[in-house]
Amino acid sequence: MGKYLLKRILHSILSVIAVVALVMVLVYSLLNRDLLFKTDGTFVKTAKNQRIEYMYAKWEEYGYLDFVPYTDYLSSLLQSGEIDEETRAAAVAIGRTADKDPELVGEYVEKFTSYYQSQGYEIHRLDAITASKYGSKLAAGGEQKLFATKDIPLIQRLVKYFTGLIEIDNIHKATGDVGERGLTFTLHDPVYNGRFSPAIIGNGTYHKYLLYVDGKFPFIHQNMAILRMGTSYTVNNGVDVFDTMSRSQGAYVLSETTFPTSFVEQSADDLHSATYREGSRTSSPINEARFTDDYTNVVTVRSAPSKLGFSFIIGIIATILAYCIGVPMGVVMARRKDKLLDKIGTVYIIFIIAVPSLAYIFLFKAFGGKLGLPTLFDMESSSRLMYVLPIVSLALPSIAGTMKWLRRYMIDQMNSDYVKFARSGGLTENEIFTKHILKNAAIPIVHGIPGSIIFAMTGAIITERVYVVPGTGNLLTEAINKYDNGVIVGLTLFYAVLSVTSIILGDVLMAAVDPRISYTSKAR
Amino acid sequence: MENAYQHLGLSKEELFSMVDHNDLETEKITAPRYSYWSSVFRVFFRKKVNIVILALLGVVILFAYIYPAVTDYDPFVNVMNAEAKHLTPAAAIAKYGFSLKYILGTGASGESTFEAIWNGSRISMSLAFLCAAINMTIGVIVGAVWGFSKKVDAVMMEVYNIIGNVPFILFVAVMVMLFTPSFMTLVFAMTVTGWLGIAYSLRIQVIIIRDREYNLASRCLGTSTIKIAMKNILPFMTSFIVTLLATEIPSYIGSEVFLSYIGLGMSERSLGRMIFEAQSAMVTPGWEFEFWSPVAISAIITVVLYVVGQNLGDASDPRTHM
Repeated sequence: MGKYLLKRILHSILSVIAVVALVMVLVYSLLNRDLLFKTDGTFVKTAKNQRIEYMYAKWEEYGYLDFVPYTDYLSSLLQSGEIDEETRAAAVAIGRTADKDPELVGEYVEKFTSYYQSQGYEIHRLDAITASKYGSKLAAGGEQKLFATKDIPLIQRLVKYFTGLIEIDNIHKATGDVGERGLTFTLHDPVYNGRFSPAIIGNGTYHKYLLYVDGKFPFIHQNMAILRMGTSYTVNNGVDVFDTMSRSQGAYVLSETTFPTSFVEQSADDLHSATYREGSRTSSPINEARFTDDYTNVVTVRSAPSKLGFSFIIGIIATILAYCIGVPMGVVMARRKDKLLDKIGTVYIIFIIAVPSLAYIFLFKAFGGKLGLPTLFDMESSSRLMYVLPIVSLALPSIAGTMKWLRRYMIDQMNSDYVKFARSGGLTENEIFTKHILKNAAIPIVHGIPGSIIFAMTGAIITERVYVVPGTGNLLTEAINKYDNGVIVGLTLFYAVLSVTSIILGDVLMAAVDPRISYTSKAR
Repeated sequence: MENAYQHLGLSKEELFSMVDHNDLETEKITAPRYSYWSSVFRVFFRKKVNIVILALLGVVILFAYIYPAVTDYDPFVNVMNAEAKHLTPAAAIAKYGFSLKYILGTGASGESTFEAIWNGSRISMSLAFLCAAINMTIGVIVGAVWGFSKKVDAVMMEVYNIIGNVPFILFVAVMVMLFTPSFMTLVFAMTVTGWLGIAYSLRIQVIIIRDREYNLASRCLGTSTIKIAMKNILPFMTSFIVTLLATEIPSYIGSEVFLSYIGLGMSERSLGRMIFEAQSAMVTPGWEFEFWSPVAISAIITVVLYVVGQNLGDASDPRTHM
């Protein structure tokens, strides 16, 4: 079993990588890149050469390609000490056309061109565009430009994505002068004013607190290994998809916070989440008053659950309801086959299968509204009633699914030899149904249980839209509409991992429930 | 000669007479001839409810395909007339006099809701039929090969595991953004991976009966693989395929409604698009008909198609022909 599982897991990992590769091809190669600018206000204001450069710069931000302006190249030479500031200033002024370059500029342009061309980049030299044909005044946005671009090849993108998936923090992460780099272990966490609480604090790392203890589940938290599933650009700028899904939402929770400078304030800042941002203290007097180092970027504490949290609460209750109601209903339908109850159940199943889900969710919403239930979700409200309609809308179709399949499996089992034997042995019909048939018929149902629990997390697109639930269901459509490629890829990875995990868990659970099922050929 | 026995006082029935031996007659089977499809329809029409639902389906198809053609549907005929917009059925009938056209009131651009829903039904149903035809054809052929060949199985399982994990809406979104959001784009988006699920479920069925004894016997007698597939396996699949079709066709209408709702639908005014456009009308007093009419008609169409398909699937199972 162990060996088989290991094989399955390795196989699944390969499948997940292939899925991500396929999605990368879809979003980075097939999608029309020009669509990004359809609703871009800045794009409209640009013209000519400036517009071309702007387009490449944007494409780089969205992750399509690598874009290196000539000026950046010179700055990098300056940083590595190859040239001095004087040379840089002289070399940066390229001529209006290539043949008008001064000698020094020509030399560096030649270097730039040959260096990037050897790495497979395409060099773009845009000659200056003058406003009129003979005048020398430049047209708006008509300045000369020089830059190199390169489409990121799929393999490179894939390797970069998967190697960067888990980022291990180290003391060389922070740029600039941070003082002495190193890790310190303390038994008295400064956030708690010296109360006993062990923590590992880093200097030079990305996160300040690498390990700390607090009152929230699971009590010991780490920031050493960070999951990077894809940085968002338009949906939630600069934040990773996983953080977007797992950060709490809603109103700030203020509490008396003592900042490192002993400044005390009612604040929602979570000091344990502090990350490094170079120069943030000198540029902001607010940070200056509160922090003693450049670990100033903190996450705020909010009152409502995260997107994942909302989706999971609704999904898990709906799933539990689906099994608690669907299983007995399925048993009753099979028990009273072709009787009234079976017919009512069948009508219900047909209704759910055939009617578009959007239609019956609106129907529930209308009915629920008539009954006085809240039809729109409100994060600030403490009412538990607002959960009712989303849960019902999610549970009713799952109930129908459980009923349909359990009834089918039980009826298939009803003519088996073991049922006839049990009947001839004098067992009552109730005993036969609940003790024998149900146990056998439930095996395929058991296979689906891990999947339905895991997929409670992902939310349901329509339900969450209709009731305005701040869950994960809408994230993918939002990302697609906003061309946020990082989020699309990250979510695909998330869904794919959940899907393969649930299939493997389902197989394991099925083998645990039914001893006849064995995945190793030897055991047979 | 004819009356020769009469003097004996016997009736005609009591006498034996010679019957000619006829080779052709002896070959005849006296049991009624079994024809598969006529039995299917005999069983199908045995249930009276099926006749009612089939009639309903006929009415729906008639309205969807013929009514818009004969009434010359134009959604923008009253677009400049502010007084013709968002009328309740009562107001529309009061304004225009009683006619079928205004029985459901008017919509956001002053068009008749009744005409709009039938036009939308035509588009949605055409989409469903076209997608089902393409997906079923490819799915059944691929599924049969997939189930038969172990080599193909190994490859196709990987393909299924990979493509099955790519979110469906992502495929559709890419297609819609790649091309214009038209009818044919949506057909392409729904069929580019849609056949895979059908092929997979058919694969399971083929594997179940592939190694049955009668197929083994058939192979031993020298039947070719193609003939086994066509004559031994495919008839077994008919009921399964019809049942699958019954769930597939309504599901395309449902998907179309869903895609329109999340903003990835087509530009034609299908049922899904009507629901999408009339969302705000659901909660606006007096405008409810604009929203509920397309919802109701899409529910009616899908239920009717589903029930007809399921019952036809039941009837096409030879075990019910007794």
